[in-house]
Amino acid sequence: MRKFLLFTLVVVLCFFTGALLFASEEKEQLIVYHWWTAGGEKEAIDAVFKIFNEKYPNIEIVENPVAGGGGGVMRGQIKTMVMAGESPDTFQLTYGTGMLASFAEVLEPIDEVWEGLPFPQLIKDMGTVNGRKVSIPLNMMRCNCLWYNKKLVDKIGVKIPMKNFDEFFAACEKIKKAGYIPYAVGAGSGQQFWWALTVEQIIAGAPHGGPAYVDKMYTGKANPAKDPAIREALEFLKTIMERGYVNTDYSALTWDQASDLLMTNEAVFYQMGDWAKGHFTSAGWKPKVDFDYVTSPGTAGVFTLNLDGFSLCKGAPHKDAVMKWLKLVSSVEAETAFCPIKGATPPRLDAPIDMYDEISKDILKAFRDPSTKIVQCAFAGPPEAWLDVYGGVISKFVESRDIEQGIKDFADGYKKVFGK
Amino acid sequence: MVVKNNIPSIVFIAPAIVLVAIFVYIFSGWSAWTSLTDWRIIGRMGKFIGIQNYIKLFAGDDIFRKCLYNTAKLIVLFIGITLPLGIICAIFLDLGVKGKGLFRAIYLIPLSFSFVASATMWGWMFMPDKGSINTLLRMLSLDFLTQPWITSTKQSIISVAIVYVWQFSGFATLVYYAGISSVDPDILDAARVDGANTFQRYVRVVLPLQKPATFTVLLILLMYSLRVFDLVWLLTGGGPAFSSEVLATYMYRVTFNQNLFAYGASISFFMFILSFVVIIIPVLIGTLKRMG
Repeated sequence: MRKFLLFTLVVVLCFFTGALLFASEEKEQLIVYHWWTAGGEKEAIDAVFKIFNEKYPNIEIVENPVAGGGGGVMRGQIKTMVMAGESPDTFQLTYGTGMLASFAEVLEPIDEVWEGLPFPQLIKDMGTVNGRKVSIPLNMMRCNCLWYNKKLVDKIGVKIPMKNFDEFFAACEKIKKAGYIPYAVGAGSGQQFWWALTVEQIIAGAPHGGPAYVDKMYTGKANPAKDPAIREALEFLKTIMERGYVNTDYSALTWDQASDLLMTNEAVFYQMGDWAKGHFTSAGWKPKVDFDYVTSPGTAGVFTLNLDGFSLCKGAPHKDAVMKWLKLVSSVEAETAFCPIKGATPPRLDAPIDMYDEISKDILKAFRDPSTKIVQCAFAGPPEAWLDVYGGVISKFVESRDIEQGIKDFADGYKKVFGK
Repeated sequence: MVVKNNIPSIVFIAPAIVLVAIFVYIFSGWSAWTSLTDWRIIGRMGKFIGIQNYIKLFAGDDIFRKCLYNTAKLIVLFIGITLPLGIICAIFLDLGVKGKGLFRAIYLIPLSFSFVASATMWGWMFMPDKGSINTLLRMLSLDFLTQPWITSTKQSIISVAIVYVWQFSGFATLVYYAGISSVDPDILDAARVDGANTFQRYVRVVLPLQKPATFTVLLILLMYSLRVFDLVWLLTGGGPAFSSEVLATYMYRVTFNQNLFAYGASISFFMFILSFVVIIIPVLIGTLKRMG
């Protein structure tokens, strides 16, 4: 018995000594939050983590992927953590003036990371809040993409591109008559915020809309109750709903389930940012063979821009590690490792483009073309509340289809977002 | 003297009381205070604005009114179906139907599911085109019975209630079965001697004795339906067009998606008061009655 007790004591002591030694050799950490969990996205961010691990083997990455809501779930979690005084080191945030301003009080300036970086001036401005840079972008996306099933378009004989709304409606009518869903939408399962992105492309292509109006709208200078662009956008939505151009289960599908309707040869068009390309290719679809894109109706020469960036959180426990991380994120090396896998494009002007597919090359060409009118998208330009408020406003409108009430709700939502 | 005699009891329950006081009531108080400010910027507290958020909530917020209506509709549907269903199932069990063990396992399984799992599963089943319910109906040539379920503004809250009934009817059955099983056999024998048949025995003798069980079931179901969040959030996201939005989902949306922290706090404090009135006060009255 005594021997047994002695043996137990020795085992327990060894265990605690080992645990203490292990604890004393604890590495420095980098606590990262992001929402890249889907196929393609996860592999992309893992590629950047791999480079970081190779460069800084003594820093352990504590990764916290939070899926859902286009980042909304993660943003909610970050807010509760910051309020509780448990700030992470760094977190992903869509990169743009309104979104970053919504988090301005919890972000530290990172001007030193930005010194001498070859980003376009617009992107530099988008990351600046109160004169200080607060985020650094890793990848770039185009939102005004109208994806289409190439085989169905050829089979039905749809004329591509469609310059305006009327040409688009004519194409939809032809597709409907051929027995297919003309326009796939997925804004269900808590993803009604996609309506905010969809309506942005409609406003950008509306006769009285355009990129300048979108910019004006996102900076609180518009008057939705009187601006004709809002009426035109709502009329567009009313038309596609009433004429039966949209799948009937739009309020139950997620964005990726809606994009699957193209791959199952049920639908022809799908309005979504170029991350949809990542979804198509990860399912084995080939760009320019099985699917392709055109700019959304009426938005030729326009680029509604979305980027993902990383920031330094106020109260970050490992500030040095974050600065190393942000330096890496800002590099060509990180962009080149990340973007091709995710299906995104690099925002740096000196990033090589030969490893990208034809669609990404086309998007990059448009972005770098000085004549392209670039405007921040709904994830970036307006305050964060925009996505939820207008997700609600538009999801209500597509059910009621009452234009006057829709305009009133749009104007009320504007007051809610901008507080005036 | 009373205190002196109960010192051990007080010592044992003190930690629980302190923790509840801090984590429930002090934080509820903080939430109440927050609701009186205009806080809408993360990291910067707002200034005191009195009861303006509450005025806006009750006078000018259509979505909030819609949430109240939806929550009330959910409560009526959910409790109105679950309670009688629980009683019927418990009576069948008490009658000793064949396959009682299997039936018990079947009705208890949904109770063990998390809301996340049930919402995901039912979400797939409710899909209008490819969901298993409508597919099955179409296979049976019962197309006229197919429904839009979660995609209809008229039916989405009913669909939520269906899932809730599925999940909780086992619980109601369990409580009622325990209540029915504990009825004194002598009373039932007396009723039998007096000539009461099975139906009369259950209706006239057993059910009137189920008041405590009904109170327990009602209270728990009410609690779950007032605070429903995860099931709605994952099944319908409150949509389409706010048709299944309930108080908790709207509170979350306003607070964390729209950054209207103070306004969200006013919804959450309203929910606290509502729960207090609907749940705590009846419990207190019941306790006081029992104490004479």
